[in-house]
Amino acid sequence: MKRSIPILPAITAIVAASYFLVPLFATFYFSLKMTRGTLSFASYQSVFQSDEFLATLGYSTLASLAAIVMGAVIIVPTAYWVRLKLPKLRPLVEFISLLPLIIPAVVLVFGYIRLFGSNSYLPMTSTDHGTNLLLVFGYVIMSMPYMYRAVDNGMAAIDISTLTEAAQSLGASRLRTIATVIFPNVRASIIAGSFLTFSISLGEFVLPSLLNRPAFGPYLVQLGQDRAYEPAALAIMSFGFTWGCMVLMQAFANKKPGQGVLPRLPFLSRKERRA
Amino acid sequence: MSFLSISDATKSFGANTVVKGFDLAIQKGEFVSFLGPSGCGKTTVLRMIAGFETPTTGKVMIDGRDVTQLAPNKRRIGMVFQSYALFPNMNVFGNIAFGLKVAGLSKTETEDRVQEMLKLIGLEHLAARYPYEMSGGQQQRVALARALAPRPQVLLLDEPLSALDAKIRVSLREEIRDIQRKLGITTVFVTHDQEEAMSISDRMVVMNSGRADQIGSPAEIYNRPSTSFVAGFVGTLNILKAKVTDLAQRQVFVGGKTIVLNERIKSSDSNLLLALRPEALSLTPSARQDVAVEGTVSHVNFMGSVIRIRMDVDGEKIVFDMFNTPHLTPPTIGQRALAHFSSADVFEITA
Repeated sequence: MKRSIPILPAITAIVAASYFLVPLFATFYFSLKMTRGTLSFASYQSVFQSDEFLATLGYSTLASLAAIVMGAVIIVPTAYWVRLKLPKLRPLVEFISLLPLIIPAVVLVFGYIRLFGSNSYLPMTSTDHGTNLLLVFGYVIMSMPYMYRAVDNGMAAIDISTLTEAAQSLGASRLRTIATVIFPNVRASIIAGSFLTFSISLGEFVLPSLLNRPAFGPYLVQLGQDRAYEPAALAIMSFGFTWGCMVLMQAFANKKPGQGVLPRLPFLSRKERRA
Repeated sequence: MSFLSISDATKSFGANTVVKGFDLAIQKGEFVSFLGPSGCGKTTVLRMIAGFETPTTGKVMIDGRDVTQLAPNKRRIGMVFQSYALFPNMNVFGNIAFGLKVAGLSKTETEDRVQEMLKLIGLEHLAARYPYEMSGGQQQRVALARALAPRPQVLLLDEPLSALDAKIRVSLREEIRDIQRKLGITTVFVTHDQEEAMSISDRMVVMNSGRADQIGSPAEIYNRPSTSFVAGFVGTLNILKAKVTDLAQRQVFVGGKTIVLNERIKSSDSNLLLALRPEALSLTPSARQDVAVEGTVSHVNFMGSVIRIRMDVDGEKIVFDMFNTPHLTPPTIGQRALAHFSSADVFEITA
């Protein structure tokens, strides 16, 4: 029997793919043309040699990690408590968690500046540390829709009320139950949420720009105004980074307890399994 | 002095009262089952013992101590759930060790105790397995070991066999009973399966819409059900219509004969209903069987070692089994036959 290629769907797929792939390829090609006449990674080299690049990237990485920790500490117990004790409030909490998608970051940051500005009762913007903290708060808020959803889905997959009762009947306190039973079982979801948080906050522009922090987002924009080839190189790198995050997210989401992220290695797993 | 007691316990969820005036005293080392249809409050009573529900009124005492307001993690109870509820992030060893770690046992003590428990359930070779790598029966045995490891005062089993297939269910219930006997642990078992409850328990509590209808040994409950609900829920019953001939002398007329009942007649008019277990009836009379009712054979189910016969007697259907022997010719459908029974086996039930 003759196998015919479905022509129309194939064309659609090619057109849709080229919509993404052509600019990507063009940017990549452009980023290689820094040295006249040859293709080289000179622009990439130039990016990595910049002190400001490393400083801002380091700053943003730190701020993002802080936001992840703070977000997990707030959201995991909240999602747990809502599921366990206040199931009727779940739609409300879900709605609140989605608010950051509706409220633009500009509004958020102006709210912060009014609330915590130098004339306020809590003048957090007067010090560097205070402003850093505000930035982290902002990241936590902005990533909340993703973090909450990921964690809540993770909790839906396990029977948290029975697991909680089982832990309690064995003498565990509430805190111990959350730390040793609930947290490890939603760890994959927390990690998935963390990667999303990280990829959102790492290159975020509005918040650090208006709070005047030396973060990666403003640096990217500045670079885009000052240079020609380096922004293209950065764009390609950040694209690769985002994809890397997604791959890791998938790996962690599909991981079963007692297995590593990679397929089980015999010499590793023996030690792990004894625990 | 009873070891575990529930006195006059009531539990309401809003306007809905699911447990009404429940009283029970359990001796140390006793195995008690709560049996009843779904929604009868049996699980709620169990959860009150565990501390997951606080009774609206009434008291729960364990070993002479009032635990009514005590948090579940302070009660030293072991609980096994229908859904196993093993911690998915821990392997078998980790699950069994959980309660021991919480109790603050040293590493070597924990290891020894876990090994002991694994031996008890016969799963020493699976210590490194994770819950998702095991069958339901294995998971439930691990859940039992986990519950027993910290030496609880009371073991609570919430329909632990309901999620398992029939064969495992029978073997595991025998295993549970053996382990319970060996450890002498006071146990409360909740089930909706009457065969399970009867085969495993020292005593049974038959529950009906929030109340304990009858509390007694399986034989008492089966042979002398105190309410018509218990009679109907536990085992199969055959109902025969009868007429009261002499109330004071407990004489009734059934099957063309006047018989004397064992107990006082409760019926207020001259009609009453008599009940008979299937095994009290037979087609061929034995020396004890002094009465017989006539009816039409409506079904003959050949089931191998037994033959189940259904008969129509004055519009009431009765069912009984007869043992198969190689020489036996089963009755044919439509045939008129006599079902014999002993007047001593008959009891009255109220509608």
